[in-house]
Amino acid sequence: MDGGATLGTAVSGRYYDGVTSRAHRVVLRVRDGHACLEGEAERSAPLNELRVSERTTHAPRKLTFADEAVFEADDRGEMETLLHATGHRDSTVVWMQQSWRAVLMSFVALVVVLAAGYLFLLPAGAKLVARMLPASVERQLGEGVLDMLDRQVFRPTQLPASRRAELTQAFAQLAPPEDGAPPYRLAFRRSRIGPNAFALPSGDIVLTDELVNLLEDDKAVLATLAHELGHLHERHMTRRLIQGSVVAAAITVVVGDAGSLVAGVPALALDMHYSRDAEQEADDYAAAMLHQNGIPLSHMERLFVTLEGLEKENGAMPAYLASHPPSAERLARLRERAR
Amino acid sequence: MSAVFEQAVPAAPTEERITFSATGSEYFRIWIVNLLLSIVTLGIYSAWAKVRRNQYFYANTKLAGSSFEYHGNPMAILKGRIAALVLLGGYNVALRYSLPFGLVMMAVVAAVMPWLVWKSLQFSLHNSSYRGIRFGFRGSLGSAYLHYLVLPIFSVITIGLGTPFVHQRLKRYQHTESRYGGTHFSFDATVGEFYKTYAVFLGLMIGGGFALAIAGGVMGGVAGLLGGATGASGAVILLAIVGYAFMLCVGWALMAVLQNLIWNHTQLGAHRFKSTMTWPGLAGLYLTNTLGIIVTLGLFIPFAHVRALRYRLESTAVLVNGSLDDVVANNGGAVDSFGEGMADLTGFDLSL
Repeated sequence: MDGGATLGTAVSGRYYDGVTSRAHRVVLRVRDGHACLEGEAERSAPLNELRVSERTTHAPRKLTFADEAVFEADDRGEMETLLHATGHRDSTVVWMQQSWRAVLMSFVALVVVLAAGYLFLLPAGAKLVARMLPASVERQLGEGVLDMLDRQVFRPTQLPASRRAELTQAFAQLAPPEDGAPPYRLAFRRSRIGPNAFALPSGDIVLTDELVNLLEDDKAVLATLAHELGHLHERHMTRRLIQGSVVAAAITVVVGDAGSLVAGVPALALDMHYSRDAEQEADDYAAAMLHQNGIPLSHMERLFVTLEGLEKENGAMPAYLASHPPSAERLARLRERAR
Repeated sequence: MSAVFEQAVPAAPTEERITFSATGSEYFRIWIVNLLLSIVTLGIYSAWAKVRRNQYFYANTKLAGSSFEYHGNPMAILKGRIAALVLLGGYNVALRYSLPFGLVMMAVVAAVMPWLVWKSLQFSLHNSSYRGIRFGFRGSLGSAYLHYLVLPIFSVITIGLGTPFVHQRLKRYQHTESRYGGTHFSFDATVGEFYKTYAVFLGLMIGGGFALAIAGGVMGGVAGLLGGATGASGAVILLAIVGYAFMLCVGWALMAVLQNLIWNHTQLGAHRFKSTMTWPGLAGLYLTNTLGIIVTLGLFIPFAHVRALRYRLESTAVLVNGSLDDVVANNGGAVDSFGEGMADLTGFDLSL
C-alpha cells in the first residue's frame, strides 16, 4: 500500500464490456481515485466517471462506465462497504425509501396533502380558474348539446305559450343575489325522463313540463330556476370539469395499473362529493335570490318536499336527484338558513 | 458462477429460469415515497418515480446470474407525459363540451396512436439492457400502422371473428421486430393455434352462460316461490355475482393459456422460451390481489404489483441452446420518449 491509496477490500464480480454479452470474471479494487478491474478483463476509470446503481435490499449493485460497460458485484455487502469507503452516499430519496420511519412520515404527509388538496385546494383553484376563463369559451363549447338532447330525449313542450311567457317574465324580474349573472335562455321541453331541470354550459336552462305541472306553484318553479341560474353563475360546469380531471389524474398516479374496476368506485365517490357541494352552493344561491326578491323560502321548501315525495314514491332516486344530496337534507339546511 | 458460461456447446439446452427478488414491503416503501413526491410536485416527479420503479424491478429480475437494467431518462419521460397530457386533456374537454369536436379529436388520437405505440416500443426496449447489451425494436412505421390501426379495424368489422388472427399478427410483429443486441427474436405460433385457443374459451363462455341461465331460472323460480319478490331478486343478484366471477375466471384462464402459447413459440436466436403459467395460478393471483386491494383500501397495491410481476416473470424460463455469452451489441441512436409517456397515460401494457 503506498500512502493508503488502495481503499477497502477487493470485490469480485462480473464485467460486461458493452460489446458482447460475455461475462468476464473480474476483481474490483479502488486505487488512487480509480476503479480498477483485473481478471478476464482489465480496465481502470476515475471514480467520478462511474455511475453507481441505487441501493436496494436484494438487487446486485452495479457500476456503469461511461461507455455503458457494467460491473456487477457478486456480493452486495462487500460492494457496499467499498462504496462507503470511497465516500459514496445514497441520495435522500434512496435513504427515505429504505427507512420505515421516513416512509411512515411520508405516508402521513401524503394523506394530509391529499385530503387538504381534495377538500380545500382543488375546489378553490378550480373556482379561480373558472372565474378567469371568459364565459364565451364555455358557451361556444356547449353549443350543440341542446340540439342533441332535443333529438334524443326531449319533445316540444305542451305548455301554452302564455304560461311559458308568464314564467319567463316572472323569473326575468327577479334580481340575482350577486352582480354579473350570466345571460341565460329558458328552454321548455317535454321529456321522457320525467320531472327535471338543468343548466347547460351554453346558458340554456332546461325545464320540463313534468316538473312545472308537478310543483303546481309558480314560485317554487322560480326557486328551481334560481337554483339552475346559480349553477351557471357559479360556473359549476367548468369547475366540475377541472376538479374531475385533476381527481382522475391523481387516481391514475395513485392506483396506477391496479385495474379500472378497483379505481372506478373511489373516483365516482370522490366526484359525487363535489357534485353535492355544487348542489348545495346552487341551493344557497337560490335561497339568497328568493330572499332578496321578497319571495318566502316556503316556496323553495315546497320544491324540496315535492322532490322528497318523489324520492319516496320511486324508491330509487329519480334522475333529477342522482348526485344530489337527499331532499330531506336540503330541506333541513334551508330551514336552518331561514332561522 | 453459473454453468452456462463455462460449458462448450452442450448437447441439450439448459433451462434457465427467470428469478425475481423484489419484495412487496420494499416496493411499498418506494411506492409511498414516489407518490408523495409526485403529488407534492404536481406530477412532475412522476417521471423520476417511473424510472426508480422500473430500475428497482429490472435490477431484481435475474436470468442466469445476471440482472436486467433500466435506462429510461426521466426528462424524456416527463416531456412525453406533458405532451400526452395535453393531447388527452384536449380530447376529454372536447368530448365533454361538444360531440362533433370530440369526434374529431378522437379521430386525431386514433390516427396518431400507432405512431405512439411504435415510439413506445422503441423506447422501452431501447432502455432495457441485460449484461450490458441493450434491447431494441426495428419495426417500420408503416407496419406499425398496419398492426395498430388497420388490423384492429379489421377485427371490429369482422365482429370479432378476425380477433385471433389479429392477435397472432400483433404478437408476431412485436416479437419478430424485437432484438437483443444484434440478435433477433422470432415467433412461430400459427394463426390456427390462436383460433383453436380462442374457440375453446368461446365454447367455455357459451356453455357456462347456458348453465348459469338454467341454474338461474331454477333458483329464481324456487326462491320466488319460497321468498316472494325479495327471494327472487336475491337469487338474481347471487347469479350476477357468480356469472361475473365465472367470466373473470375464464378471462384469466385465456390470458394464461395465450401467454404460454405466445412465449412457447418465441425464440431469441437459438434460445427458446418456456412459459408455464397455469390458469388456477393466475386466477388465484388476481383474485387475492383484488380482494387485498379492496380490504386494505389500496395499501396492498404495491404488494399486488410485485406478486403479479413475480408470477409472470417466474413462470418464464429460457432454454439456453449453447451460451448466452455471444450476443453482440447493436448500438443505435437514442430514442425519444413521447410515445412512452402516452402509453403510460392510456394504460397500455407492453411488458412481457
